[in-house]
Amino acid sequence: MMIKNNDNVSPYQIAMIIIMSVISVGVFSIASDAADAAGTDGWLVIALAGALNILAVVIIVKLNSRFPGKTFAEYSQIVIGTILGKILTFLFAAYLLLVIAYVTRAFTEVIKIFLLFRTPTEVIMLSLILVCTYIVRGGVECIARINELIFPILFIPFFIVLFFGLPLMDFSNLLPVLQTPADKMLTAIPSLIFSFGGIELALFYIGFMKNPRKAYKPAIIAVLFITLFLVMVTVFCIATFGKNATTQFLWPLVNYIRAISLPGLFIERLDGVILSLWMLTVFTTIVSAYFIVSYSISKVVGTKEQKQYVLPLAIIIYYLALQPDSLAELYEWGAAIFPYAITSFLYAVPIILLLIAKLRKLGVR
Amino acid sequence: MGFFSTKRSGKAKVENEMGKLLNSKSIEENTERLKDRLRDCDDIVYKEFRVGAEQSLKFLLVYTDGMSSRDMLNDAVLNALMIHAREVPPDATEPGEELYRLVRYGGLPASELADNDNLEDAILAILIGDAVLFIDTTEKSIIIGAKGWPMRGVSEPNTESLIRGPRDGFTETFRVNTALVRRRIRDHKLKLKQMRVGKRSFTDVGVMYIEDIVKPELVEEVTRRIKTIDIDAIIESGYIEQLIEDNYMSPFPQINVTERPDEVAASLYEGRVAILVDNSPFALIVPTTLNSLFQSPEDYYDRWYVATILRSLRYVASIISLVLPALYIAVTSFHPGILPAKLVISIAAARQGIPFPALIEAFLLEVTFELLREAGLRLPAPIGSAIGIVGGIVIGSAAVEAGIVSPIMVIIVAITAISSFSIPSYSLSVGFRMLRFSLMVFAGVLGLYGIMLGVLLILSHLVKLKSFGIPYMSPYVSSVGSDFKDTIIRVPSFLMGRRPLTIARNTVRLKNNRHLINQMEREGDNDDKK
Repeated sequence: MMIKNNDNVSPYQIAMIIIMSVISVGVFSIASDAADAAGTDGWLVIALAGALNILAVVIIVKLNSRFPGKTFAEYSQIVIGTILGKILTFLFAAYLLLVIAYVTRAFTEVIKIFLLFRTPTEVIMLSLILVCTYIVRGGVECIARINELIFPILFIPFFIVLFFGLPLMDFSNLLPVLQTPADKMLTAIPSLIFSFGGIELALFYIGFMKNPRKAYKPAIIAVLFITLFLVMVTVFCIATFGKNATTQFLWPLVNYIRAISLPGLFIERLDGVILSLWMLTVFTTIVSAYFIVSYSISKVVGTKEQKQYVLPLAIIIYYLALQPDSLAELYEWGAAIFPYAITSFLYAVPIILLLIAKLRKLGVR
Repeated sequence: MGFFSTKRSGKAKVENEMGKLLNSKSIEENTERLKDRLRDCDDIVYKEFRVGAEQSLKFLLVYTDGMSSRDMLNDAVLNALMIHAREVPPDATEPGEELYRLVRYGGLPASELADNDNLEDAILAILIGDAVLFIDTTEKSIIIGAKGWPMRGVSEPNTESLIRGPRDGFTETFRVNTALVRRRIRDHKLKLKQMRVGKRSFTDVGVMYIEDIVKPELVEEVTRRIKTIDIDAIIESGYIEQLIEDNYMSPFPQINVTERPDEVAASLYEGRVAILVDNSPFALIVPTTLNSLFQSPEDYYDRWYVATILRSLRYVASIISLVLPALYIAVTSFHPGILPAKLVISIAAARQGIPFPALIEAFLLEVTFELLREAGLRLPAPIGSAIGIVGGIVIGSAAVEAGIVSPIMVIIVAITAISSFSIPSYSLSVGFRMLRFSLMVFAGVLGLYGIMLGVLLILSHLVKLKSFGIPYMSPYVSSVGSDFKDTIIRVPSFLMGRRPLTIARNTVRLKNNRHLINQMEREGDNDDKK
């Protein structure tokens, strides 16, 4: 008989999921954060943060390989006990809910600035969340496939647009290199970590693979790709505007794309292109996290299906996203919560769980 | 004679293990029963005839007038029997059995004979165009394959014409269609599973596949789904399509429909399954992916870069037919700043004095165009083109002159229409038409953002969709690199060494011969130098 839902994620899809959930609203502001933190050496800090995250992702895959066929929601209950595991999973889900609400709200504000000046925030937000619920109800297979499908749709035009700006750049803006003292560089790393938030979703998605050991290569490649992409964006922005101007922008990448104008190009302003790219990144980030939230809750409650939690969660996300009054307030909230949440879920939790599992000799090997 | 007929006379009807009524030994009783069952069926012919020296051996030939070949019956049954029946020894103890054996294994110069012992099967055989021969004093009857009705010849398919490629298309006759496929696959691994669907129509439905290429679970699933159909009649293959498809709510066709035997054969070689239905020139192909709906058989007959360019053109056309009117609405009513200033001014000048908002304007013209298309389809070809002229030129220019729509909108609708015609699959282009209207509404409400939402919704739906267990968007979502050879790009033929891995097994189909040709060329050069 035909397999109805095989719930399998291929190694290639793991790479896609990691890339697409990390590349999000952050990519538009990273150049300014980096320039803020380390001036012309900002891109080096990103590269360092990337190297750190390769380590993190290796730990995540190691942890998952001990429990093949199990996701974080399942093996955390084995490692630290049912109740503690459930609490941890619930905390994870709560953090992801905040991420979704943050991304949704940030994107809504962008839409209001660029395209729909008079449309109410509520309408924009609700329509986006509802579109996301449709795919999330489809299950992990659909999430994996949509990430795989959108990857080329996003990155091919993205690269083309980015390279159109080459004539604008003056690479002497990147000089001097390595002026920042080493200790300042290291302290700058945490401020850029939020740009890598999303890797921790691998804790769950690798659990849907047939053989989690095969995740090492795609996961490392994914983090490498992300790092290179972010470095590239930062270099391009700093090279175009110089480090001082870059720090002044809210979204340097947007200013960069807007600065591109090619004679004979049909579209005068690339706002539509920016918006479309932005929307794709936001959409994939939201759905990947959204699925994990509904999945975690179904595991915490102990039901088989995750479908029924999707729509009620939409209401919670909507409510959370409505809380900040302005973009500035939203960014304050984000800066207050996410660095800690990401540090704990991306680094602390996997390392601690791996150690406990090793000490208690749980799982395979 | 009378002795045998009385032996089982009376109304003692005997049934076989299937619960079917057995034939009687007496030819009179058989006739009576048949006529009772088939009363008021005035197109049934009962030909009773006697042969033998004393005209004592009775036969009854029953067939449906118009569905069996009369020439064949005259030649192979009547003519032959009237001679051969004389060979029965007059003193045989059981003339019926003897006669039956003689007739069955020698007397009838017909290629298709089958035994039968019950009335139900006999009646079914009669009604599907075969003839049944009853012999007195035996309960065995013989079914003679004599199907022969007026049928349309093999002609060029109307809906899928090609510049290059075979000109033959399927007809309404099941057997002709299977033969057209068999002519292209002369392999004993080509299997044809036949079944009858429809409690009243008894329509022949054939499931065709190549045994060692197709995945066995696919064949199983297809036959299982067809067997679940419990319906009175199957008029066309569309009935089967709608009863076995995966998602009946989707605007996208999940089963490919074709009139071309070459396309069916090529699909079978890819590991797909074809479903042929009697009375329908349209074969069904499963599983179907979005990618396969963009393929035309010509892509493989033409050289590869021609095919690649045409493929990409079709993808672009489908996107245009999906979003162009919506983009027009979004740009004119929400974001005029996106376009170059000069273009914005000319659009605004063209829209000067138009009483409707862009959404209504677009709907007006799009609906008019759909009406024209529908009207043109229903009319005979010569009048249909007249409708096109009236619609396209007269109404279009009149509407512009009257100031109801802007000339730019007319151009947009025309481009959209042309684009939607360039999608090879008709049912896919219908799906795009429906989605175009919903995207227009999205654009009218939320502008570019609305279009993006709509597109994401469509992508999500496509990703969710499956056709017989194969993701609809494969190979774009199946993580199989080698399947990309035959997508938007169609690589040179010598590189298409493998069947699509997501669908087929036993995947090697071609060994690269390029280096052999190059080698021969080099050898030829060396010979010249000598």
